[in-house]
Amino acid sequence: MYTSLPALLVVALACPCRALWPIPRSLETGSTPLVLAPDFRIVGLRDSPADLSSAVARSQAYIRTDRMQRLVVGRAEADRARVQDAMQLPSLVLSIPEGEGVGSIAQEAVGPLGTRSEEYVLHVPADGAPAMLAANSTLGLLRGLTTFEQLWYDLDGNATYTLEAPIIVTDSPAFPYRGFMLDTSRNFFPITDIKRTLDAMSWTKMSQFHWHVTDSHSFPLQVPGFEEVAEKGAYAQDMIYTPADVQDVITYAAERGIDVLMDIDTPGHTAAIYESHPEHIACYLGSPWQTYANEPPAGQLRFASPSTTTFTTELFAAAARMTMSSLFSTGGDELNLECYTNDTATQEALAATNQTLEEALNTFTMSTHGVLTKLGKTGVIKSDMVLDHNLTLPNDTVVIVWKSSADAVSIAAKGFQFVHQPSDYFYLDCGAGEWLGQDPLGNSWCDPFKTWHRTYTFDPFMNLSASQHQLVLGGQQPLWTEQSEPENLDSIVWPRAASSAEVFWTGATLPDGLPRNVSSALPRLHDLRFRMVQRGVQAIPLQPLWCALRPGLCDLQS
Amino acid sequence: MFPRAKLLVFTALLAALAPADALWPQPRSIETGGTPLRLSGGFAITVAGSAPSDLHAAVQDAKSFISNDKLGRLVVGRGAVDVAAYSKAKTLSKLTLSLEKGATAHSITSEAQKAPEARDEAYTLTVPGDGSGATITANSTLGLYRGLTTFTQLFFYNEGTTYLLNAPVHIEDAPAYPYRGFMLDTARNYFPVSDIKRTLDAMSWVKINQFHWHVVDSQSFPLEVPGYPELSQKGAYSASSVYSPGDVADIISYAGARGIDVMLEIDTPGHTSVISKSHPEHVACPEATPWATYANEPPAGQLRLASEATTNFTAGLLAAAAKLSPSTLFSTGGDELNTNCYAADEETQASLNATGKTLEQALNTFTQVTHKALLDEGKTPVVWEEMVLVHNVTLNPETLVLVWISSDDVKAVAEAGFKLIHAASDYFYLDCGGGGWVGDFPDGNSWCDPFKTWQKSYSFDPVANLTDAEAKLVIGGQHLLWVEQSGPENLDPAVWPRAASSAELFWSGPGGNLSTALPRLHEVAYRMRQRGVQAISLQPEWCALRPGACDLTA
Repeated sequence: MYTSLPALLVVALACPCRALWPIPRSLETGSTPLVLAPDFRIVGLRDSPADLSSAVARSQAYIRTDRMQRLVVGRAEADRARVQDAMQLPSLVLSIPEGEGVGSIAQEAVGPLGTRSEEYVLHVPADGAPAMLAANSTLGLLRGLTTFEQLWYDLDGNATYTLEAPIIVTDSPAFPYRGFMLDTSRNFFPITDIKRTLDAMSWTKMSQFHWHVTDSHSFPLQVPGFEEVAEKGAYAQDMIYTPADVQDVITYAAERGIDVLMDIDTPGHTAAIYESHPEHIACYLGSPWQTYANEPPAGQLRFASPSTTTFTTELFAAAARMTMSSLFSTGGDELNLECYTNDTATQEALAATNQTLEEALNTFTMSTHGVLTKLGKTGVIKSDMVLDHNLTLPNDTVVIVWKSSADAVSIAAKGFQFVHQPSDYFYLDCGAGEWLGQDPLGNSWCDPFKTWHRTYTFDPFMNLSASQHQLVLGGQQPLWTEQSEPENLDSIVWPRAASSAEVFWTGATLPDGLPRNVSSALPRLHDLRFRMVQRGVQAIPLQPLWCALRPGLCDLQS
Repeated sequence: MFPRAKLLVFTALLAALAPADALWPQPRSIETGGTPLRLSGGFAITVAGSAPSDLHAAVQDAKSFISNDKLGRLVVGRGAVDVAAYSKAKTLSKLTLSLEKGATAHSITSEAQKAPEARDEAYTLTVPGDGSGATITANSTLGLYRGLTTFTQLFFYNEGTTYLLNAPVHIEDAPAYPYRGFMLDTARNYFPVSDIKRTLDAMSWVKINQFHWHVVDSQSFPLEVPGYPELSQKGAYSASSVYSPGDVADIISYAGARGIDVMLEIDTPGHTSVISKSHPEHVACPEATPWATYANEPPAGQLRLASEATTNFTAGLLAAAAKLSPSTLFSTGGDELNTNCYAADEETQASLNATGKTLEQALNTFTQVTHKALLDEGKTPVVWEEMVLVHNVTLNPETLVLVWISSDDVKAVAEAGFKLIHAASDYFYLDCGGGGWVGDFPDGNSWCDPFKTWQKSYSFDPVANLTDAEAKLVIGGQHLLWVEQSGPENLDPAVWPRAASSAELFWSGPGGNLSTALPRLHEVAYRMRQRGVQAISLQPEWCALRPGACDLTA
């Protein structure tokens, strides 16, 4: 026993659990063990909105069922002695300022970016007095509950404990938009998979689900008044999101502090609309596809056609009415101009209106974004529409920077607010090999794989002037699903997507004043991964368990 | 409506092009017709003569796959486009399995556990077009089992009907190579027995016949070896992360019943850090730092190969472990031996001084003693390529060599005259491309980037640059999963359907066509999902339903 004892001590001292993800902006911890009293309970608000009551119930359940053993050599056994005679925490008491009526989490979560109140203060005393969680909104309380759940470890089912009382957290996000994007068009994902993903997102305090719901491959969204588009364009009748499904997802998300940004990609990436509306689609199945599209199948909206513009505008209006969010995305990436060169309908339309293709694109975009504005939505588009085209866009348009992190500067120079989604840092599908057939030596276009470390080193203010910082709304990791389905959704996304969740919540600096760094992050990310597995999300191991139990020993230079 | 009509014509054309004989691996010889057949409600599989219990169990499994697969054919419109074709078709009500005259009915398990070259996996499968009984004949129950596996892949499903479109079917099949494997590392991270069994199931569906179980390594020792229980007691990640002798027997018999032999590997003398937890006297440089000086990955630690006591300990351990397995094969590992570790180890230096040996000479002694222990148990030793290419070790000429570092090394191993197994990282490593896993290294990628796609593996030539005589030394090959970044959470997605790529390569032989393989491989993935294995999608479903439409230059 002599040889192993010093090792345990070193580990315990060198790695205070602080296993919070994202790590709070301000965090003070002690070294007193504390266990949850057998009748521990979370005391909610007197006039609690239903979704806050549900959140409290979920927290109580997680605390009971996580059964998470601390990641140290010896696991829970290593802590037994310290936990044995610890003080008991009787309760956690939630509060928000008296006065105004208490809004629901959902209401707060779907508010415009910049208006959502997510800050909270959490105090867990070491002396057995009740813990306190205070916030200015129920959304803030939800964020605080999420932090509180991550404080606890399990000792053989006999005690739920922390070793770090007292704990004082003062927390708020560095950026309002902390997202994850899922493509449900290349391959279909049932609602249960989306909900499980929303659960995991909420555990890392993400605030935005960007739902890239349709694309050229399939159109699984049933839009009221446009039912034929999904009926003919979905992969199958049981691969359609009905308005009720969408409502279900939106509500489920909002109750977990997540706003849903719907994305109907236009005018490119629309081949599936051909199945119901061939009159609106140019170069459908144009071959060779490489001439007409970035991936098969080719097919784009005839945006120069007034009837197609009207169709698309009305489709957007109907789809936008399905959502509660203040945001709606019209896509706008990878428009292929060659597609229109030989499209008679487009050429006739251009001739009839005496417009160039670019002018027609401007007319189309003004119409589609105009209707969004009219419905009170802020339009969200891909950076191509700003960098490659000359369009008149509403000033408050939100731009998603995706091709390269280097593009952010150009977007900022044009004065647009933007969301970071650069393929060179954040794309979850990169590195998994070529998916096109007949290409034995092919790799993914955005090789190599983006590790969590790589993502974690991203600087949201890279090359931006101080006055441009306010344009950065946040960022997100996307999953394009050419090679994903429910089978590998969790394992591709988690825990990697949590990396950007911390980048955009915590910002540049750790609570101890040091710059955020991968060394101190890794043990916490291991912890998050193990907790996700306990909760039924198939997050993958980032290292051998040997390493996960020995922080720092598997670093490059250790 | 005109464009719509055009589309239907296009759809019908695609349906005609889609292969109806979507078998994987592709049989060596297959003739098919164009007659649809429906499976009758009372469809029965019978075995002529007496049959061992594992063949009876295999028949039950096959019946349940046939009724539960419910796989819609991968064409636009799925099974609905076949209704007209099958609705008035004759029915097939019987499949009979029989051994050739003079053959004896041994268990599948005992046939599968023979030495690779002695396994008889050939079979003949006939499905007449007139609805009369289908037959599988073979010289061994293992061959009958392979035929059953093929038979289950013949059928599609639509709205209550199980059917095929391509009777009569006549298949004469036998593998090109006797060793078609998959390797799983259970030491970096632990995998419960249930995950291993699910993997064995999937392996059997693509006729893989060898499970290479890299059971222990430096990070953990999850194998309970009779007589050496302290190794796993102190070296496993936890008491619940141990394979007991009962678990090992369970896995071996589960594999055997599915035509799979289990080759255990206890990697030595490197990759043994964890043995220091129970036997510090046998391990040099345990957890020494900086790890990069002493090992290819943390933690460092290697057996004191120059020590006589350690040599005897290892020989005893290997002999005891060898007794756990009926396989003729047992791997002693032998990769990535680090010499710095021993240069800094006083104990090793003292041993070398005392015996007047160099480290290489000591390694030779160590290897001869440990391999003799295996030979005495009737095993053929299997080693990683360094034992032939890097070290000067006298190996038994029957030793099998796993070529892993690079496919470029195949030639040298063959020139040394050893039988070899293809396991090259540049073609068959399933973990490549998953990013760097060591900490504090934001720009790190996997050492063997890029990701090895199924296409890359599939295009491998097992006899590239070999003479005819050297080509005969190739006994097969395998995909491998090292699990620094894998656990049960991503086992299936990391392995399937990619590992099926080498299964066909080594069953059907090289030179397969990527274009015709892809639709069949899509079907493998879809069928695996129907059977509960989380195989990933290789392309958007749009592409899976339209063979060729998503090729690079389509």
